[in-house]
Amino acid sequence: MATVNGQIETAQGNITTPSKQPLPAAKSVDSQSVLKRLQSELMALMMSGESGISAFPEEDNIFFWKGTITGSKDTVFEGTEYKLTLSFPNDYPFKPPKVKFETTCFHPNVDLHGNICLDILQDKWSSAYDVRTILLSIQSLLGEPNNSSPLNPQAAQLWSNQQEYRKMVEKLYKPPPSA
Amino acid sequence: MATGESTSHFWNIGVLDSLSDDSLQEIAESYNGFCVATQTLVTGAGDLSVDSEFVAVVHGLMKHGLESLVRDHFLQVLEETFERNGASKFWRHFDVFSNFAELKKNNEFDINEDEIQQVLCNALEEISLEKQYEEKCLLMLVHALHSYKDQISGERHDSEAERDYFVSKYQLIVSSVLMASLPRHFPVILHWYFKRRLEELSTIMDEECNEDSSQSKDDMDLDEKGKICTKVGAMDVDDCYKQRMFSENSRLVKNIGKVVLDLRSLGFTSMAEDAYASAIFLLLKAKVHDLAGDDFRSSVLQSIKSWIQSVPLQFLHALLVYLGDTISYESTSSGIKSPLAPQPASCCPGIDAPSEGLVRWKLRLEYFAYETLQDLRIAKLFEIIVDYPESSPAIEDLKLCLEYTGQHAKLVESFISALRYRLLTAGASTNDILHQYVSTIKALRTIDPAGVFLEAVGEPIRDYLRGRKDTIKCIVTMLTDGTSGNSSASGNSGDSLLEELNRDEEMQENVGTDDDFNTDDRQAWINATRWQPDPVEADPLKGSRNQRKVDILGMIVGIIGSKDQLVNEYRTMLAEKLLNKSDYDIDAEIRTLELLKIQFGESSLQKCEIMLNDLIDSKRANTNIKPTISQPSKTSTQIGENTIPMDVVSATIISSNFWPPIQDEPLNLPGPIDQLLSDYANRFHEIKTPRKLQWKKSLGTVKLELQFEDRVMQFTVAPIHASIIMQFQDQTSWTSKNLAAAVGVPMDVLNRRINFWITKGVIAETSGADFAQVYTLMEKMADTSKNGGSGGGSQELLGGDEEEERSVASVENQLRKEMTVYEKFILGMLTNFGSMALDRIHNTLKMFCIADPPYDKSLQQLQSFLSGLVSEEKLELRDGMYFLKK
Repeated sequence: MATVNGQIETAQGNITTPSKQPLPAAKSVDSQSVLKRLQSELMALMMSGESGISAFPEEDNIFFWKGTITGSKDTVFEGTEYKLTLSFPNDYPFKPPKVKFETTCFHPNVDLHGNICLDILQDKWSSAYDVRTILLSIQSLLGEPNNSSPLNPQAAQLWSNQQEYRKMVEKLYKPPPSA
Repeated sequence: MATGESTSHFWNIGVLDSLSDDSLQEIAESYNGFCVATQTLVTGAGDLSVDSEFVAVVHGLMKHGLESLVRDHFLQVLEETFERNGASKFWRHFDVFSNFAELKKNNEFDINEDEIQQVLCNALEEISLEKQYEEKCLLMLVHALHSYKDQISGERHDSEAERDYFVSKYQLIVSSVLMASLPRHFPVILHWYFKRRLEELSTIMDEECNEDSSQSKDDMDLDEKGKICTKVGAMDVDDCYKQRMFSENSRLVKNIGKVVLDLRSLGFTSMAEDAYASAIFLLLKAKVHDLAGDDFRSSVLQSIKSWIQSVPLQFLHALLVYLGDTISYESTSSGIKSPLAPQPASCCPGIDAPSEGLVRWKLRLEYFAYETLQDLRIAKLFEIIVDYPESSPAIEDLKLCLEYTGQHAKLVESFISALRYRLLTAGASTNDILHQYVSTIKALRTIDPAGVFLEAVGEPIRDYLRGRKDTIKCIVTMLTDGTSGNSSASGNSGDSLLEELNRDEEMQENVGTDDDFNTDDRQAWINATRWQPDPVEADPLKGSRNQRKVDILGMIVGIIGSKDQLVNEYRTMLAEKLLNKSDYDIDAEIRTLELLKIQFGESSLQKCEIMLNDLIDSKRANTNIKPTISQPSKTSTQIGENTIPMDVVSATIISSNFWPPIQDEPLNLPGPIDQLLSDYANRFHEIKTPRKLQWKKSLGTVKLELQFEDRVMQFTVAPIHASIIMQFQDQTSWTSKNLAAAVGVPMDVLNRRINFWITKGVIAETSGADFAQVYTLMEKMADTSKNGGSGGGSQELLGGDEEEERSVASVENQLRKEMTVYEKFILGMLTNFGSMALDRIHNTLKMFCIADPPYDKSLQQLQSFLSGLVSEEKLELRDGMYFLKK
């Protein structure tokens, strides 16, 4: 009978230490934390790999982002792509960012200037939302408009006729340049 | 005769009318007499008895003012005669060798050398005799002309000018006749003749040198024995001997000199000079090749120089003296001394005032020697650098040669092509290339301290190395080589980069201390402790040495591009090394790290330092935990009889945030061991709350002993191997599926890992039912044919897989991971901005991609990454702008 006398000489252990990332000295703690928050949101957004939504800060200003939303499948907005701007206030995330459509969007809750009527961007805002959830909300708003308080009454009226609406969308849709 | 008349006709056209019939008659008679007399005189074969008659007819013609007719006719006859008797005869001697040139080309040296020498000498003698005779005839004419003039004027004229005129005229005739009929093979024969003679001379000189040195050795012996009186006798013998040698030398030189003189008198001055010059150069070339050869371990320049002094210059000196080119004839007696005689400060030994010609010769010869040696060394530079530092004398030689000739460009060109052909090929290992690179840097530093040519030579190597994946790894290995001791490339410790670092450290220390003695002591001590002394150490110029070493390291780092990559690779390798340590001995690593810190700065190596500190802390934690753990382990002993004592475990506790990503495979350890580990972890938690220990069970090493019926085997293996073999303790046969489940690893991993035990003859593999593999424990040694003698011996095989299993994710994998982050960022920004130029992408990444690790790539790296994405059809590049590919 063979006996095995095991003798474990070494094994590697691993301590989970809380990661201490030293903060750079900041002039104003507030704006520093906003910066950090936006940076981590960007990182999360990039790494999430969510298709159909995207946003990225302008070259020199992290408070001003450009966003892209594609219309969801099986909606009248399928195959269209919309550019947005997101501008974050200095007290973000305690106040919501201002979000506007840059591309003309024929939608009951979007006016001709691109302003959006969405509750989470106004009174229902919470600091738990982030860029990703905002973009996802707008994307789902495209397919499911709130026709009770329209910014674009014509669109709200036409919504019931999805085929006509699709034609209208295609007629008014101007694809963003150089896309 | 017809020509003679017409000539006179032409010349005397003005006075022809005034001539009376009588005088015409007289002229015709005199002329006829003159022609006959001339003919008999010239062809008279030594019979000069026609003298008076000749003078009479000459006077007769002169009376009528026909002096020019006399001259021209006489010279013409001389020319014809020489052509007939001298030149054609002379050339006939060499007809035998008419195909000599062709033979030489075919390397058929079957010609009798004595014969050719003999023929040449004879021919020269004969033609010289002929020439002398004709010169005598000429002198008679001069005499006749002169005596007439004396008669006419009644006073003596100086005949010198007249004679000189005739002699030079005649000389011209001789050389033009010879040149016009020169056969093609004559220069070859001359060349060959001088070559043989010089070789002969060289041999004699060499013998003399040898004899002389042995003689002096005898003298020394005698000195030692204290027999000084006999030394005098020995010296006498020596002198006699030298005298004999000298006479032989001078005889040879005289022979040659005579030949040269004869040739000169025939108008072959430049041809003869060409012949012996080319012979000398050939001999010198052969000598340089002979001396230099393929031995790079000794300097040959000095011996070549002294050979030039002793053989060709002696010869030339003697020759020039013989030919009377040197002013000081009297110096000949003392001129040719032994080449070993104490050399005066002047460039030529034994010659008090070297003639200008000799100095010129010396310069020509030395330049030729330098050039030959340089070409030889440049052609072999690759081998020389392979042998560096043993070959540094050859490098020194080459340096001197290049200083003289200035043909550095030749070196660069030839060396680069040698590199391309021999080093920068797929067959050469990266390690070899790197070592050659370091040697090249060191060697070329000597030749070219400014580093201009080194830059040109290094560029192809660097470019090539950048294309290799394992370059960084090899560099780091070179860097840490010597400290680990068990490294594979230990043979080249002279090239170890660590030594460069070491010396840098010393240098920086030295800068700090002013006390010279102190530094010297330290230097001496460090030298003494070093395994192999570095030859460069001999260089006394400390300042330049410091400069150079920094450069070497800088040039090595320059291959990679940035030190961060190097540090990163080092961290990975350090992690690997530390994880494989079973003792906590990290002195060598600490030393390496300290040296690296000096080079690359503290901050970049902070993580590595934390890793080392982890090891130190682990040691401490281990000693703290073990005593406390032994208590509860006593109670658990009652559970199973084969419980393991707790103090066999030693843990390496790492702060994983600062270590490179560690590859962890799930693994089921045998129950008791698992229990032991969790006990250990609990104890750790108690001591170091709130910290918890997470085991990486697949890492580490296990020492185990297998006891069979007939043998005992010891192994040091990876945990997975131990887990596998432990399963056979209770059940001697497993199907691979069940075994994989028991060990907790996938089937393919198991099949790969169990090979280790199969090759050790511990487990046998058979295929059972349903094509499943069945592994059975080999109980008896007799069952296996392999490893007959190794039973009982300790098998030191750590992770004995064919492919090296790494516990730390390689730098390449890390890099790929980083790049996927960048890819997402790039795709993200292009989605929103449409199109972007390269530098805008670069800036944006720099601005916003500040996660761990932050974006730290160069514009070039980004560009190559982007072009990779373009080729993957993720991006599109139009007019310098990047787009998303739709």
